[in-house]
Amino acid sequence: MKCSSFIGHDDAKLALLLNATDPRCGGALFVGEKGCGKSTLARSLRSILPSGTPFVELPLNVTEEALLGTIAIEDTLRTGARVFKQGIFARADGGVLFIDDVNLLSPEIISLILEVQGRGENIVEREGLRMRHSASFILVASMYPEEGDLSPHLLDRFGMCAGFERLTDSAERMSVVRAAICQDQTDAELELIERIEAARKILLTVAVRDRFLEYIADICINYHVAGHRADLYLLAAARAHAALNGNGKVTREDINTVAPLVLMHRRRELQPPPPPDQQEEPPPPPDENHEPPLDNQLEQQPEPPKDNTDEQEHDQPPKPHELPPQKEEIFTVGQPFQLKRIAFRKDRMERAASGRRTRTRARNRGGRYVKSVLRQNRDIAIDATLRAAAPFQSVRNRTDVVVIDEEDFRYKRKERKMGHLAIFIVDGSGSMGAQKRMVAAKGAVQSLLMDCYQKRDTVAMIVFRKDRAEVVLEPTASVEHAARRLREIPVGGKTPLGAGLLEAYRLLERVGRKRPETRFLILLITDGRANQSVTAMPPDEEVARMAALMREQPGIDIVVVDTEEKGRFTTMDRAASIAALLSADYHTIEDLKADSLMNIVMTNKADVM
Amino acid sequence: MEGKNEGGTRMIFPFTAIVNQEEMKTALILNVIDPSIGGLLIMGEKGTGKSTAVRALADLLPEIEAVKDCPFTCDPSGVLCSDCQEMFRRDNHLYREQKKMRVVELPLGVTEDRLVGTLDIEHAIRRGEKRFEPGILADANRNFLYVDEVNLLEDHIVDLLLDSAAMGVNTVEREGVSFVHPARFMLVGTMNPEEGDLRPQLLDRFGLCVGVTSLYDKDHRIEILRRRAAFDSNQDAFYKQWNGEQQKLSERISVARSVVDRIPMDDGVLEKIVSVTASLKLDGHRADIVMMKTSRALAAFRRLGTIGSDEIRDAAWFALRHRLKRLPFEEIGAEREKVTGALAQI
Repeated sequence: MKCSSFIGHDDAKLALLLNATDPRCGGALFVGEKGCGKSTLARSLRSILPSGTPFVELPLNVTEEALLGTIAIEDTLRTGARVFKQGIFARADGGVLFIDDVNLLSPEIISLILEVQGRGENIVEREGLRMRHSASFILVASMYPEEGDLSPHLLDRFGMCAGFERLTDSAERMSVVRAAICQDQTDAELELIERIEAARKILLTVAVRDRFLEYIADICINYHVAGHRADLYLLAAARAHAALNGNGKVTREDINTVAPLVLMHRRRELQPPPPPDQQEEPPPPPDENHEPPLDNQLEQQPEPPKDNTDEQEHDQPPKPHELPPQKEEIFTVGQPFQLKRIAFRKDRMERAASGRRTRTRARNRGGRYVKSVLRQNRDIAIDATLRAAAPFQSVRNRTDVVVIDEEDFRYKRKERKMGHLAIFIVDGSGSMGAQKRMVAAKGAVQSLLMDCYQKRDTVAMIVFRKDRAEVVLEPTASVEHAARRLREIPVGGKTPLGAGLLEAYRLLERVGRKRPETRFLILLITDGRANQSVTAMPPDEEVARMAALMREQPGIDIVVVDTEEKGRFTTMDRAASIAALLSADYHTIEDLKADSLMNIVMTNKADVM
Repeated sequence: MEGKNEGGTRMIFPFTAIVNQEEMKTALILNVIDPSIGGLLIMGEKGTGKSTAVRALADLLPEIEAVKDCPFTCDPSGVLCSDCQEMFRRDNHLYREQKKMRVVELPLGVTEDRLVGTLDIEHAIRRGEKRFEPGILADANRNFLYVDEVNLLEDHIVDLLLDSAAMGVNTVEREGVSFVHPARFMLVGTMNPEEGDLRPQLLDRFGLCVGVTSLYDKDHRIEILRRRAAFDSNQDAFYKQWNGEQQKLSERISVARSVVDRIPMDDGVLEKIVSVTASLKLDGHRADIVMMKTSRALAAFRRLGTIGSDEIRDAAWFALRHRLKRLPFEEIGAEREKVTGALAQI
C-alpha cells in the first residue's frame, strides 16, 4: 500500500513525511497492537523517499555476519585476497533501516546497531578483515509492547514515536478496506512526492528564531528528558514541518505539532498493559501524576495513547482484592543494594537463547564468533581456514584458486549469553509484616530484579499468602513492570508456602514445554514459616513433597533468601531447612550484599573457570 | 547524527564547541598531557555527548616520536617490537618520525584475531611465508583505545584487553606465527550504567572516571541546539569558526605536556594524597599513583608551577570515584560527599 492511501494514523504519517523531508529527524518508532497497520505504513515510506534512497529490512534472526558484513567466500578463494561482502549496515547507508518487531531483537544485535548508528560508520575488525565504511541511516521500526520492552537506550535513538490504536470508527475502517483493494492512488502519491521535494529544497534556508530555540529548550527541560537528543530532534522536526508547509520560518505551531511525536517515547516508562488474565489485580497506579505538564498549548494536543490501559478496564471497574479488614498492609520497597554475583556453571548443551547471565554455545547461527575450532559444525570459519591453508599454497601448486585441503577446515565457535527465567516466589504472609521485614525483603527483590535486568533475564513473580498462591506477573522481559508489581504486593494472612512452590512448578512446566532450552532460576523469598496447606497434608509435609518434586526438575537453580531477622529470641531458621530440602543456595538478606570485594573476585574466578 | 561535508569525508564535531561538560573534557585533556594516567571511563545517560567528546579529542592530539614506518608506533627509546629489535640489532640505529597520536576504536563486534593480530593470509598465499599481521592492539600502542559501551564488550575480549593492559605488551603465538610488540594504550570507555555493570578488574584499569548528566540549564541547552544546527547546516564554516579555539587549546595542551615532568612532587603533596586514599580505605596503590599524576597534570594544564590543594581536590574526584565501594542507584552526591569528607581531613 502506498503512503498516500493510508487511512487514519495521522501522527505516524506525519512522522514519515518529516523523515522523508529531512533524515535528521532521526527515524520513527510505531507502537501498537498487532494487525493495525504499523509495518505496512512503515514500509510505505519507501514510496515517498527520494529515488535511490536505500530502504533495508532487518530480519529478526539476523546474524552478526549478515549485519556487519563478512568475508566473501568465493571471491576470496578465487583471488587469494580477502574480499569483503557487504552487510546490512553497508546497504542501509544513506537510507533507512527498517526493523519489524524491534523489541524482539536479541540484545547482542541491538548493541551492534546502537554502536554503528551512533558512530555513523561501520568499523569491521573481524574474520581477518579490516575495513571501515560509512553507515549513516535512520531507524524505522515497529513494536508491540506486550511482547517485551525496548531498552531506553535504543528508544532514545528514534527521533519520533507514534502510537497506533485500533481504528474504531467504522467509516475509517471501511476506507482502509477500500484503500487496500484499490491501489490506484498515483495522483495523491505524486503530489506528496512533489511536496516533499519542494520541502527538501528550502529546508536549509528555514530559519529558526532564538526565542523558538528557547521554546524548544523549555519544552525539553519541563519534560525531563534524558540527554540532549530530544532537543535536536525537535528542532529538526520543526524545521522539516515548516518546510513541508512551504514556510521559510519555524513557528510555534510547527514546534507544537511535532512535539508529541518527538517526546512521547522519552518519558521514563513505556509499559505494556497488564495481561488480561490478571484482571483481579488492581490496575497499576496512574503515571500521569509524575508527568510535568507541558506548555499550555501543548496540552491541547492529542495526548499520545497510553500504553498501560486496557480497553476492558474502561468498561468494567477493576475488581478489588477481597481484603480482610485486619492486618493488611503494603510496605514500601527497601533500599536496594549491590548484589554478589549469582553465576551458573557453563554447560555443553547447545541452546538458542539470549541473555547475559551465562554463556552458552549457540545452536543456531546467532551469537558471537568467539574463536575458530577444529571440531566440525555448520559454520565454516573462512578466515581461519584460509590461514591454515595459506602457507601451503605453493607446495600444493596453486594456479588460480586457493587450494583448500580437508585438514585446513576450521569452524566458528559461537557463544551467546543465555537467558534465564527468574521466578520470584515471594512470601506475602502476615509474619513478613513483623519488624517490617517486608521492606527489607522488597529491597532484596528489587536488587535481584536489577541484576536480572542487567543480565537480560526474563522474570516472573508469584506471591503466596492467606490460602493460595498467585502468579502476579507472567514471564516478561520488562523488569520495570516487575518492579511495579513488587511495590503492590500486600502483606497479611497465613503462609501457604507449599502453594507457592506448586504454582512455581506449574509455571516451570508451562514454560519448559514451550522453550525446552530455558534455564530457570527460582528465588524463594520467605521466612519459611509455612502454616497453611492447600492439600490434605499438613503444611510441612506438603512443603517437603513439593520441594522433592521441584528438586528433580532439570535445568533449574534455586536460591532461598531468608527474610527472618536473625539473632532474636524468636529466630527459627525455618528457611534454612527448606533450602536444604530444595538443595538450594541459602542466603540471608544480609549476606546477599556484595560489600566485600573478595566476594566479587571469588565469584568472578568461578565465572572464568 | 554526524554528517558529511561536501568532499564526502566525515567531519567530527569540534572538541571546543562541546557545551559545558567541563569534567569530561578536562579528564580527557589530562590524559593527553600525561598518558601514563591510564585512560578514562565516562559514565552517563544516553545522549549526553560522551562519544562526541572522545571522537573530537582526535583533533587535539599532539605528535609523538616513533620508529619510522613501524606499525606498532614503537618508541625509539622504549620497548620495541620484534621487528624493531631485529632492525636495531642489524643496523644499530633506528630511523625516527613524528606521528600524530590517534583515537583507535574497538568495535563491539571485534573478533579475537583482529584484536591481537594473526597470520597475514594474503602474504602467506602469495609468498608461502608466515608473516604477522598487526591487530587493533598494535594500532593502540601509545594511542587512545576507545570502546563505546564498554560494559557490553564480550568477556573473552575483555580478558585479552586486561592481559595486555597488565603486561604492556602483546604476545602472539598462534597459527604458526610468534610476535611480541608493545601495547601500552590509554583505555577510554563510555558506558551507561543502567545497561549493566563493569567487571571490577576492568573498572580498575581506567585511570580516571567522570560522570556526565544532561544539562538542565536553559542557556546551555539553547547553545547546544544553536551549535549543532550550525554544524549540521555547514560543517566547513563551523570548523573555520572554531579553528581559533581549537588551536589555542592544542597549544595549551602542548605547553602543559612539555612542563608536566618539571612540576615538583614534594612530600607535602604526597602526604596529602596518601592521607585521602588511606581514609577512604582503598585497595591497592593504583589510586595513589593516579591521583598524584592527575594533580600534576592539572597543575600543568592550569599553568601553575606547583600543585595546590585545588589540584589535589579535583584529582581526587577524577581518580577515586570509581574506586569507592558503591551501592547501585547511590546518588552521585553521596560519592562526592565521601570524597569531600576525606579531603576535609587534610
